[in-house]
This record gives sequence, structure tokens and C-alpha cells, in this order.
Amino acid sequence: MGENLKVVRDATCTFCGCVCDDMHLTVDLDQKRIMKAENACILGKAWFREHGIEERPLALIGGRTATTEEAVEAAAQILAQARFPLIYGLSDTTCEAQRVAVAIADMIGGTVDTTTSVCHGPSGIAFEGVGESTASLGEIKNRADLVVFWGGNPAEAHPRLFSRYAVTPKGMFIPNGRKDRTVVLVDVRRTPSTPAADIFIQVKPRSDFEVLWALRALVKGRKVDPSIERRTGVSLAVLEDLVARMKSCRFGVFLFGMGLTMNRGRHFNSGALLALATDLNEFTHWVAKPVRGHGNVTGADNVVSWQTGFPFGVNFSRGYPRFNPGEFTSVDLLTRREADAALIIASDPADNFPKAAIEHLRRIPVITLDPKATPTTQLAQVAFTTATYGINVSGTVYRMDDVPITLRPAFESPYPSDEQVLTAIRDRVRALLGGNRLPAGAPVAAAS
Amino acid sequence: MTLTLTLRTAPTVPLEADVLSPDRLSGVSALEAAKLTVVHGNQRADLGEFFQVGGAADGELHLTGDLAQVKQIGTGMARGRIVVHGSVGMHLGAGMTGGEIVVEGDAGDWVGPEMSGGRIVVKGNAGHMLGSARRGSQIGVRGGEIVVFGNAGNEVGNGMRRGLIAIGGDAGDFAGVNMLAGTIVVLGRLAWRAGAGMRRGSIISMHPAELLPTFSYACDYAPEFLRVCLRHVRGLGLTIADSHVNGRYQRWCGDGIELNRGEVLILDSAGTASRS
Repeated sequence: MGENLKVVRDATCTFCGCVCDDMHLTVDLDQKRIMKAENACILGKAWFREHGIEERPLALIGGRTATTEEAVEAAAQILAQARFPLIYGLSDTTCEAQRVAVAIADMIGGTVDTTTSVCHGPSGIAFEGVGESTASLGEIKNRADLVVFWGGNPAEAHPRLFSRYAVTPKGMFIPNGRKDRTVVLVDVRRTPSTPAADIFIQVKPRSDFEVLWALRALVKGRKVDPSIERRTGVSLAVLEDLVARMKSCRFGVFLFGMGLTMNRGRHFNSGALLALATDLNEFTHWVAKPVRGHGNVTGADNVVSWQTGFPFGVNFSRGYPRFNPGEFTSVDLLTRREADAALIIASDPADNFPKAAIEHLRRIPVITLDPKATPTTQLAQVAFTTATYGINVSGTVYRMDDVPITLRPAFESPYPSDEQVLTAIRDRVRALLGGNRLPAGAPVAAAS
Repeated sequence: MTLTLTLRTAPTVPLEADVLSPDRLSGVSALEAAKLTVVHGNQRADLGEFFQVGGAADGELHLTGDLAQVKQIGTGMARGRIVVHGSVGMHLGAGMTGGEIVVEGDAGDWVGPEMSGGRIVVKGNAGHMLGSARRGSQIGVRGGEIVVFGNAGNEVGNGMRRGLIAIGGDAGDFAGVNMLAGTIVVLGRLAWRAGAGMRRGSIISMHPAELLPTFSYACDYAPEFLRVCLRHVRGLGLTIADSHVNGRYQRWCGDGIELNRGEVLILDSAGTASRS
């Protein structure tokens, strides 16, 4: 450990959607490394340890080293010429960078989509159709006496969700912490989260919707046939017991994960759970929150919603925002080979998209902004190396409960931030286009 | 004389051609039609850049070529006829109120979203959201008819309020989801969760179907309206056996979570329906 140490108190971890803001970091400023991250969970510790400064070129154009300015010019040329450009990612960067990305999408008449479209996008559709009874994690900590985790494994994915908010902490109306809470876990298999639950309900894969629908019927006092067990693996008695508990608790919460949103039924699964929470509000207080993955994916939803009115999958081809998952979501429009350029910010679709979508990314000019080398930066025509948010860059991120939190960076990076690069691209694109691209379509639809 | 448009240059990115509607092209010459504006990605373009235009508009429009990248054909049309010799892209006949569209090939997602009249006939397969509500909207098809000879994807007739959707092949998950009224006939197989959240309306299946736990068996009967309905569907070109017309059907009521006034009718010879 070097001599030049600094302690950053109450720094924020941006690894997962918990966005814990009580990290005490010990930073070696000579080595530009975080030596110790007090209060961090195992994931947070790895996040802080692995984000030192790597020796990477500021930018690559066609695989050749370039300056940031040269890369900005190349990126702006690609975006200004594209007819159906896609801007994707945005969940691991600051809100300040996200809003510049939306501005670029608006300016070039492109599509802006975030990683929400491949995780809680179905919940985003369900919010629009069903609505959301919501609460902050603080309310959950202080009030929730029945916590239902559905389709997630927080012990491994969001470790401090248990210890900081939803299972063990003592709260204002939960004086004895864990003893005052009943924890239910619904999943298709046992996971390391299972031991944390008082009641574990194992549903057959792809039958969450049927279970939720049966619960809704029981809450409304309708009869459910015992044959439900054959389809879902859950007996009527278990469901009736759960309904009795749900109706009689003081403050119930559903915390649902991608096990629900990304299996057959998608937005109807999320919608069924949100509707169940609404139904239960006839008896007692219930809320439902999606458990979000990336550090600022909630910020991406908030910023895109605030600027366009819709959370993800928004297209500006005709000069005004249009929301249509399936038409304007990244996997779909790449698989159909529609996009003719892509700007990918802080995410790695070439690693996790379906093969057909990745193949199309190889066909079109791709621009990436990422602190690390990834499969996506490797196929990019223009690749910027940027500083890491939360570690080198300040700004705002949103916790999974839509609470904005300020970042306290640990040390400076020689690389520019996503916001700086995107702002430079935006300014150059504006100069190339002479302002926003003219709305392409509005007058055509004027005939009545 | 009809107006004929033949795809000459395939669009490189999606082409939004809501101008391709008999109403909008009424009285337009081929030369004038070629100058009409379409939206190619984020830029305007002339129809003539993509299509060879011939004839003159008299209420009938013939399109030829693989138009899978061409969206919004027949948007808001109120009369006339469109015949597509090939496949079409998304949002065919969006919000149409009258007239007829015939597609010889396949159609993309969102065929006839929120239409209120007229008829769409797809000879091939249709994508997801056939005759459905747009996202964020509670009410889908308000009237008219959609006939698909092949298969259809998920969410057929989402939020449907009136009208008829007839599918010769299979329907995907959530057929008739959140239906308010209207009729969906599926001659092939119904996939999972048909009628989830339906209030009223009829979903007719000729094969055994697995229903949600909130649907309850009511009776076994031969409804008179169904004979009329199926003869009408036969008239639209789908193959309806006499055993379908004269058969007995199990009536399942649902969705119990909602009004419970919808029904799923399952042809009796198809075997017993089962709860999910």
C-alpha cells in the first residue's frame, strides 16, 4: 500500500440497483486503486477492487489508436449519416450522460433503448397497463412485515437488499427486525436465497402467471379448483395460506425479479403481480417493486421517461417520441436487421444478445463508450475508453426505488466521462445536421 | 383502372408508407402518386424512389413485392381495396374504419391495431398483436373483421371490443387477453392463457385447450349463433367442416377475476378441456 492514501466516506456503490451509499473507501492515489471498501458486500468489494486504471488507448477507430477528438468526429459522421440509428445501453452511466444520449437520439431521429428492454422492460409495459403501487426501500425497511420475493435470488444478486432493507434490519414499526417479518420466496428452484425465507414456494417453470392468477382469484373470494397443483406444483392449501397472510399483514411488499419478467408471459406476469398488489390494497397496504440489476438502470428509465414520456424503446424517426416494445426495442430491431448504426453506451450487447442480433451488430458501424474492453468494443468501428461512473466520475444515479443518489468518486481517471464524450458527439452532430433533423413525418399524417 | 405499385428498390431501413391507402390516393395519377412522401427511417422520400407506379387510382390499390420492411400500409383507410401480392410489415390497416385489405403473403406484427371497420385478409401467417390494442391502450378492435389463413402470434385480439377475428391455423399465447367483447375463432390450436382477464366475448377453439384456473365449466351445448358465425367464416374462405358447424361445444366461463361473462367454447369431439 502506497503512502498517498485518501479515505472517501459515504461513497456510493454503483454495481447493482441497491446503490448503497454508505461505502467507506480507502484509496491509494499513487496506484489509483481502491484498497478497501468498508460496508461493501462481496459484489461491491469486487466492483471497487477491479476498477483501477487500465492502460488502454483513449479511443480506437477501426482498431487503430486515435485521439478522443478524432473518434468524436468519426462517431458524429456515422450518426449524422444514419437513417435508422440505435442508441442502446445507458444503465451503467450517470443520469447526466443519459440525458445527453436522449438528446442525440432526438436530434438524429433515432431510437433510444436501454438495458431495461432485456430485463424489466416487461414491467415497464405492465406499469403502463396496470399501474404500480410503490414505496421507497426506506418505507419497506421501516414498515414491511410481509415480504414476498418473486423470481429472484437477492442473496447472490443484491446481497444487501436483505441486510439493509427488506429482511433483517430493524425499522420504525419493525422493532425486532427479522423476528417481526415474514419472508416468502417464490421461485422455480432452491437458491442461496431460499434459507432466508420463512416460506419457500417452488412453482413449476413457466407457471408464475397461473399462480398469480389463482392468488388474485382467492383474494377476490373466487373459487379455485384444486387442479391448480397439477399445473403449477403449488397446492391450493399453500395458496390459501399465503392469501390469508397477505390479507392480514400490516404492510406487504412484492420484490420481483427477472425470473418473473423474462419467462413465458413476460409483461403479463409483471402485470399479474402488480394487479395482485392492487387487489390486496382493498384489505391492507401492499406495494410492488421490481428489483433492478444495473447500478443506474432505474436512472435510465427515469431520464428517458422524463425526456420522452416513455421508459425505453423510444423512436424519434418522425420527429416525436413513439414507444413500442417489439418494434423499437434493440433485440427486435437488430434481429430484423433494421438499424444501420448503433451507439452503445456502457453495456455489452455483443456478450448477451441473441446471435442474430449480434450478427447484425457486426454488419453495421458501431460506436461504443466503455471503461473496459468487451466483446462489443471489439466489434466497434469507434470505441471510446471512458472513466467509470461512481469510481472516477461524479453525477446522479437512481436507486431501484427511484430515489436519486449523488456519487462521490474515489480518484480521477485520465479518461473522459461518458457525459463529456456524448456532449462532444452531440455538439458535432448538431453542427453537421445544422440543428435537429427536420421531423420526417408529421405533415404526411395530416390528411383527415 | 387500379393503381399498381411494384417494389423496385427495397428500402434499407423501415419504410413508413401510411400514404398507401385508397382514400389518400383517391383521384391521383401514377405520376402524382410517385411524388407522394413516405418516411424512410428518419428521412422523407418519394414513393417513386421505391415503387414503380402505374395506372390510376380508382379506389383499388395493388402492391407487389416483398414489403416486409414497409409499415403502416392502409392506415386509417375508410373505403376501397388494397391487394398485396407479397408480404407486408407492421401496422397493416392501423385504425382502419372501412374497405378491405388482402395480403397474399405474410403480415408482420400489429395487423389492424384498433381498427373499427372493414376487413383484413391475410393468406399467410400474421405476427404478434393481431387485431389488438396499442400499448398503453385499453381498447383494441372496435369492429370489422380480420381473417388469417395461417398462424398468428401472441396477444390476438388484446382488448378487443367488437368484431371478428378468424384464424385458420394456431394462435399464440394470450389470445383474447383483456377482451371486452367480440369473437375470436381459432381453427388450429390455442396456446397458453387464452382469455386471461376477458370480461365478455367469445373465443372458439376446435382443439382441446388448457385454460386458466379462473375459468369454470358451464355446460355442453350447440349454440345457434356459432352456426351462423362459422358459416360466415366459411364464406370468408376458411375451411370449416360440417362437424364444426353442427358440433357441440363445451362452454367455459371466464375470466373469474373479471366479470366472468366471457366464454371459451371448445368443440366437444376435440376431447375434454383441462384446467391449467
